Amino acid sequence: MMTGNELSTEIKYPPCKLACPIQTDVREYVQLIAERRFEEAFATIRKQNPLPRVCGRICTHPCETACKRGQVEEPIAIAALKRFASDGLWRDQYEAALPGKSTGHKVAVVGSGPAGLAAAHDLALLGHGVTIFEALPVLGGMLRVGVPEYRLPNDVLDEEIHTIVDLGIEVKTGVRIGKEIKLTDLFEQGYKAVFMGIGAHRDRKLHIAGEDKLKGVVSAVSFLRGVNQAEKPRVGVRVAVIGGGNTAIDSARSALRLGAEGVHIVYRRSREEMPAAKEEIEEAAHEGVQMSYLTSPLEILGRDGKVSALKCIKNELGDPDDSGRRSPKPVPGSEFSFDVDMVIAAIGQAPDSSLVAEEIEVTERRKRIIVDGPYTLVTTQPGVFAGGDAVTGPATVVEAISAGKRAAISIDSYLRGESPATVESAGPTETERLSSVIIEKTTKFERCLKTSLPADNRVKGFDEVEAVLSEDVAVKEALRCLHCFLGARLDKEKCISCLTCVRVCPLGIPTTNKMGEITIDPFACQACGTCALECPVRAIDISLDSRAQMAQKIEKGMAESHQPDPVIVGFFDLHGNFGSSDMERLRQGHPNVLPVMVFGLRRVDTFDVLKAFECGADGVFLAGCAPDTDPFPEATDRVKRRMAHARTLLDALGIDGARLEVCDMPEQGIVDKELIDGLIQRIKEAGQARSE
Amino acid sequence: MKSGSNLERILESGRFSVTAEAGPPKGSSPKVIQRKGELLKLCCDALNVTDNQTAIVRMSSLSGCVLLKELGVEPVLQMVVRDRNRLSLQSDILGAAALGIRNVLCLSGDHQKFGNHPTAKGVYDIDSIQFIQMVKTMRDEHKFLNAEEISGDVPFFIGAAANPFADPFEFRVIRLAKKVSAGADFIQTQGIFDMAKFVEWMKMVRDRGLDEKTHILAGLIPIKSVGMARYMRSNVSGLSVPKEIVDRMADAKEPKEEGVKICLETIEQLKEVDGVHGVHIMAVAWEDIVPRIVEEAGLMPRPVV
Amino acid sequence: MITLEQKKFQEIEKMTKGYNPLLVLGCETCAAMSFAGGQQQVAELASAIRIARKTSGQEGEVLEDAVARQCEPEFVDLIADKVGGCDAVLSIACGAGVQLFAERFQDKVILPGCNTTFLGVTEELGVWSERCAGCGNCILDKTAGLCPIARCSKQLLNGPCGGSMNGKCEISKEVDCVWQLIIDRLTRLNRLEMLEEIFPVKDWSPAGHGGPRKMVREDLKS
Repeated sequence: MMTGNELSTEIKYPPCKLACPIQTDVREYVQLIAERRFEEAFATIRKQNPLPRVCGRICTHPCETACKRGQVEEPIAIAALKRFASDGLWRDQYEAALPGKSTGHKVAVVGSGPAGLAAAHDLALLGHGVTIFEALPVLGGMLRVGVPEYRLPNDVLDEEIHTIVDLGIEVKTGVRIGKEIKLTDLFEQGYKAVFMGIGAHRDRKLHIAGEDKLKGVVSAVSFLRGVNQAEKPRVGVRVAVIGGGNTAIDSARSALRLGAEGVHIVYRRSREEMPAAKEEIEEAAHEGVQMSYLTSPLEILGRDGKVSALKCIKNELGDPDDSGRRSPKPVPGSEFSFDVDMVIAAIGQAPDSSLVAEEIEVTERRKRIIVDGPYTLVTTQPGVFAGGDAVTGPATVVEAISAGKRAAISIDSYLRGESPATVESAGPTETERLSSVIIEKTTKFERCLKTSLPADNRVKGFDEVEAVLSEDVAVKEALRCLHCFLGARLDKEKCISCLTCVRVCPLGIPTTNKMGEITIDPFACQACGTCALECPVRAIDISLDSRAQMAQKIEKGMAESHQPDPVIVGFFDLHGNFGSSDMERLRQGHPNVLPVMVFGLRRVDTFDVLKAFECGADGVFLAGCAPDTDPFPEATDRVKRRMAHARTLLDALGIDGARLEVCDMPEQGIVDKELIDGLIQRIKEAGQARSE
Repeated sequence: MKSGSNLERILESGRFSVTAEAGPPKGSSPKVIQRKGELLKLCCDALNVTDNQTAIVRMSSLSGCVLLKELGVEPVLQMVVRDRNRLSLQSDILGAAALGIRNVLCLSGDHQKFGNHPTAKGVYDIDSIQFIQMVKTMRDEHKFLNAEEISGDVPFFIGAAANPFADPFEFRVIRLAKKVSAGADFIQTQGIFDMAKFVEWMKMVRDRGLDEKTHILAGLIPIKSVGMARYMRSNVSGLSVPKEIVDRMADAKEPKEEGVKICLETIEQLKEVDGVHGVHIMAVAWEDIVPRIVEEAGLMPRPVV
Repeated sequence: MITLEQKKFQEIEKMTKGYNPLLVLGCETCAAMSFAGGQQQVAELASAIRIARKTSGQEGEVLEDAVARQCEPEFVDLIADKVGGCDAVLSIACGAGVQLFAERFQDKVILPGCNTTFLGVTEELGVWSERCAGCGNCILDKTAGLCPIARCSKQLLNGPCGGSMNGKCEISKEVDCVWQLIIDRLTRLNRLEMLEEIFPVKDWSPAGHGGPRKMVREDLKS
């Protein structure tokens, strides 16, 4: 069994990163947000993702599904944090990578959806000349024409696209490859490789009576395309949307916004099986969309050539089908009809590959472009690569970005005459389960509440529904992170089986066997740091605020300090209830204080206090957090006792233990002014006493 | 006068002193001590009563001293720190003072392992030098070890042992100096057979001026047989018996006479050594010989001061 | 385990004064488990000495190191190079470790940073208490597994003295009367009659009263 303590030899990724198709360093940027290092958080996101603001809004965030915190109460609101980090004005400070030295190769990217944009971006950075061919007059693909503005405003998308195109990418809109220009013609035009990221823009048909001849039956793709144009389509008074995916939800919510009085989603299975994102379903219901689960349409009824009603049948769930979902079985005699004047078919999309089907092979039924593997993405036509919905069928934006990035790597190899990468995907792994004991012992913190427009206002237009998180809410949310795999690392060679870690862990994570072999589950550990600080032989270190990092924070801070005498090192618990304005107030009110931010006062050792004095500090204080914001109040209590010991030592050193202060963070604002004033006063008096 | 004892008076008057040793019995009869007292009464200035010597249980030293005192013999109370802790040592000192004992010899004592109760716990709460210091403080400052007041006087002439023949040789005189500075008024040395080494040691003692600060009584052990000589040469740590002594005893037709002769020769040589203020004769199980040795050494009669 | 505690800093500071460079040497077994001599304490103590030197205007480098056990020659010898460059070594091991060091490095000043306290158990983190006096002649079979040598203030062998009150020793209300514990336990085991016999006088020679102890295993030694 893998105990996971051998971190030095094997890098373990946190579940959020593993779940992400582009392996975003989620844990890292969440941590940076917690530390109020927002620019760096954005940089962390942006370096892996060319569409951060898009993903911050519409990503289906598999990271949240995998999040360990989700086993405790609710996952970290990662998508909201990503949007926070990406929407902030600090994004202007980000110095994006510049295109690499030109390779002289030209690459055609067909389609400007997320797959195409990601491929174009990465190829441009690799130094290739990129031209995007887009059939529509605007760039963005499904992001532009499939996602309603209330979820993804146009200006956000515009900005992201501009940033990418500004890398020197040529854009040709209104050009359909396969029609105006044959695919293989591109090679004649000097393109050395082609990426087909044409998406899946063709609606699948319902195949029920009335579908083709009645007015008022529309496909979701064409409906949403209309929704995303200035001239909005007309909708009926009572609308039925058939399907259970995000497209169905988008269609339903858009129909409401366009004036429909009643919108029904008709879905053949139950809510459990519904593929749409949970939040989307909730939002739709909140806005007034009716849900008819376990219902299949049988026939669209009409009057005067127009839709008048939808005839349906109730289902029950049978055995699981190929997809693992329980398949619906009609209940005989349960037919019913209800009046509608519009039916939107949203039961899935397929690539519109007919124009290129002669040149590259596609699947027979769903017309998906065939590629040889998920990393090479090579089609049957040499030099042509494909990825995204065109290959997989409708999927998520982040999967499309992933495909684009993979294609860029594969195309780059191809252009350099190297064999394409044949990396085997590890595949998303199931997040390990925490034991019920650990879940019980873990301090619960409520997930942040999203700020959104009131439902009444929402349905009046296409204004963005969700607001970005405020700084304080984002920081508080980021502090909920349980720091998977950033916790205790045990060096078994140093361990003397003293059992201290077993005894001090607030969660009971370290265990021992009869021979004294200690095991610390790196997944379960939440990096409180207690064991590392109490370990008498330093066999344990914590990756989050490691011993070296703490020393560096102090040394670097003191070396660069411009604080006037007396210099006071203040260790601030990041969980403390203060914001950047508070820090500014501190800087102005107490220029003597050199702040050192730490993930919990638990991380501050006697040694660190001594280190501060050794580096020339005249005083030290530790500012904690309010007990209800502390994930490990008991462990923090140890700090106070540890500091009592440190005071004794300081007394013995002739430094005067009173130069070390520990305080809880008051409810409001920064550390008590009186506390710091008192400390400064004592230091000055002691200084005088010594000089006399 | 610190104690007013006979031994102190004689030594302070600058006369050459003689002390001897009387071991108490492994029994309760007073007769053994009384007999030894009568025997040695006239030939010595004070008589040491040993304290469970060589860690063999005997009648207590204090009782022996009292029995001697009743006979008019001045006793030297030997006390070892092996068997008593600081409480017991101090209480016995007070008791001895009350009983009129005026000389005390402060010793570590032979390790219990050598005696007849080798499984006993050794006390060694304080060591012999600390003991000397403690008695001096009791006498001069009327204070216990814990600085509490003592009522009444504790007039003792304080003695200590010294062994010039133990290792490391260079340190021996340092240890003597420590004993002197702790408060040793007189010193009784280990039995001397290796005169050369003793002379060398005494030179070091004089170089430090220790002979001016304390009275050194040179130890003598009359040898009864060649077997005893051999035994002491090879089995008693801290004794230095040169081979020629063993040879002389082995070659002698009358070993006892030869033993006496060696002893008398030694005394003659000691008289010539500067800083030696007397002799201490330890005739273990041969007390009878002491009067003759003292007589033939020309040390009789003992002065009265 | 052998328990230790670090000496008061003032004492350490005084004894280490003037030695430059000074090596603070930890011991990663008992001393570490006593939170007196592990690497953590080495770092802390070294830092404290550096600060003390700095504040009193003294020169002097303070080095840090630790070995698995200072009571083993092979471990001690491994730091010979580092020791060579030092003026003195402050060992925060037990007395045995300090002495072995003295034996291995004849010409080096060695200073003890710890007091060796006793042979004991961890009651809980941060609380240790004495259990064994190392008397060399175990009698726990006769005393219900609780040792009167280590835990009776008078080392009585035949039951509690007259000072035992409410289960506590006369020396302190904080100290259990081990004889009370022995009696309670034997009562539970229904074996109290074991105490009726007079316990014979103990042989103290293997307890160190027979002189310094040494243990030789002919089958193991080279």
